[in-house]
Amino acid sequence: MSNMPRAEQETVRDIYRPRPASIVRTADVTRIEKLFELELESGEALGHMPGQFVEVSLAGFGEAPISVSSSPTRGPRFELVVRRVGALTGALHRLKPGDRVGIRGPFGTWFPVDSDLRGRDVLFICGGIGLVPVRSAIQYVVDKRSHYGHMFILFGARTPADRLFSDEYEQWCAPGEATFLETVDKRDARWTGAEGVLTTLIPCIRFDPGRTVAVICGPPVMYRFVIVELKQRGMAEDNMFVSLERRMKCGVGKCGHCQMNHIYVCQKGPVFRLSEITDLEEAL
Amino acid sequence: MVVRDAQVVRAMTYVAASDQVMAEVLGVLSRKRPVFAPVPVGNGQYRLEGAAEWEAGRHTVGPYRTVEPLKELVFPPREFLGKLWAEEERNRIEERMVVGVKNCDLSALRIHDYVFRDSDPEDPRYTALRRSTLIVSADCMDCLPVCFCPAVGEQPYPKGGFDINLSRVGEAWLVEAGSEKGDLALAAARDLMEEATAEMVRRRDDARQAMHARVERQARESGLVPGSDFQVAFRKSFESDLWADFAGDCVECGACNFVCGTCHCFMLGDGYAEDNLPARVREWDSCLFRNFARVAGGANPREHRAARLRNRFDKKFNFFVEVLGAPACGGCGRCIEACMGKIDIREVLRRMQDEG
Repeated sequence: MSNMPRAEQETVRDIYRPRPASIVRTADVTRIEKLFELELESGEALGHMPGQFVEVSLAGFGEAPISVSSSPTRGPRFELVVRRVGALTGALHRLKPGDRVGIRGPFGTWFPVDSDLRGRDVLFICGGIGLVPVRSAIQYVVDKRSHYGHMFILFGARTPADRLFSDEYEQWCAPGEATFLETVDKRDARWTGAEGVLTTLIPCIRFDPGRTVAVICGPPVMYRFVIVELKQRGMAEDNMFVSLERRMKCGVGKCGHCQMNHIYVCQKGPVFRLSEITDLEEAL
Repeated sequence: MVVRDAQVVRAMTYVAASDQVMAEVLGVLSRKRPVFAPVPVGNGQYRLEGAAEWEAGRHTVGPYRTVEPLKELVFPPREFLGKLWAEEERNRIEERMVVGVKNCDLSALRIHDYVFRDSDPEDPRYTALRRSTLIVSADCMDCLPVCFCPAVGEQPYPKGGFDINLSRVGEAWLVEAGSEKGDLALAAARDLMEEATAEMVRRRDDARQAMHARVERQARESGLVPGSDFQVAFRKSFESDLWADFAGDCVECGACNFVCGTCHCFMLGDGYAEDNLPARVREWDSCLFRNFARVAGGANPREHRAARLRNRFDKKFNFFVEVLGAPACGGCGRCIEACMGKIDIREVLRRMQDEG
């Protein structure tokens, strides 16, 4: 009998290994947020839906979950908006067109643009960079305009300098088909618009709670106040969708970082129907 | 040696007449594969040590679990997951065997199987390591003071999940095949053993019951009630002060996670492979580390240590009961031995019971 260990020949195709993508274009969105237009080097479309995220990596700096900010209706290229907060995002901000990043995904659930939202009035409520993933859904609605009723967009930024995509608001809102309202927490000398927290915009719109579906995305503190307000206006938890930010490190339900009570946010989320998470202690 | 018809040999139980014969059988099994087995380290503990072949003077079957959890063999503490831009690699996964695995580790492996193999998408690296590992388990012949497996619905002998299981019966060993892989492996050592008699099986079962009763008594003495529903207790004690009380002793070292047979959380990072090419690295992580759940923007869903300690129990006694139907705790007591703050999981569970 042989003493040689028997080796099994295995093809190990790793679920943690990214696909290469090139940067086509970059644009400053604010002082600390930059937009990247990307294409997979294979030429394929990403295959995402609005609200899903990808894992973006840069060799030597690591990997982070970033939501896709463009709609799949706009071709095989896709856009990400990255806030500069640490080593990886700092390095991403230094990249130029032609440079390569790694992409895994798309992962997670999406805003129900082809089910719950379809045929209804849609109400997007976004705080700060919460507008980044929701922009994908807004573009989707704009591109398939006849599938939806009236579109409301309520957007709140900390200061006028923190506003995102302000040159796009007009394209999103055809007269009579959409209502766009925005506010800033703290005005500056030139700001002539509304000042106050995002919830102050909700009383300014008229919507039929039985015919409207809300998509809410923003900082953790925002959700509770917005939800209370919408409930007071008669909207059911079944008709509200939220996107939760958690540390989705692997994106494939293995690494444990995005666990919230008995679910993984990267698997059951990040987009949740509000009624599905109201009994989760750590959700909101 | 001709491999016998698997149908004939399937589910067979053999007798190795003495320690000498048992060692010969293990020697034959390890001719085909490197072996990991318990080695006494002098303080009543056993380390899991590897060698090219079974070393009769050094390796043992071990009376109870080793210091290291079995997961190390299928989910290494640090591993390269492949070069970043290279084509798919063909990895050589070597066949190996691990001897003396106890039921607490087998039950813990169910968690890893669920996470890495059975949940979509499958982790091919885990699956390959798992498939190439022949598991030779053994009944517990003794227990450590920290053992409490009956309190979490387990018992000190395996009911499944092994390829081959060994049970001490008097001077002899009962050798049971638990899988086709185990059957095939044992075929090579078939001539060294007799077929087991009903009497031997009965004596094994008696020894199992006696050992079970002993560990159960020990668990009861620590205040735990076998058969308790810890998921209900956890949910009811969610807002209890107990989490802050125990968290006061936690130093966030992560030792409980790293010695735990079920803990499977990891970080993904970048490093360099042997040839200096950038490679993805996977390393164990700890849910007690402050920034475990912190997102890039700075928000931390579990800012306070008490919330992180509670989450450890949430994952073990709520999450996995919900998704898999069993808690992620095998009752091995490794975390009790490892904790620098002397947090005793049995005391935590007891307070959950009391306050739930």
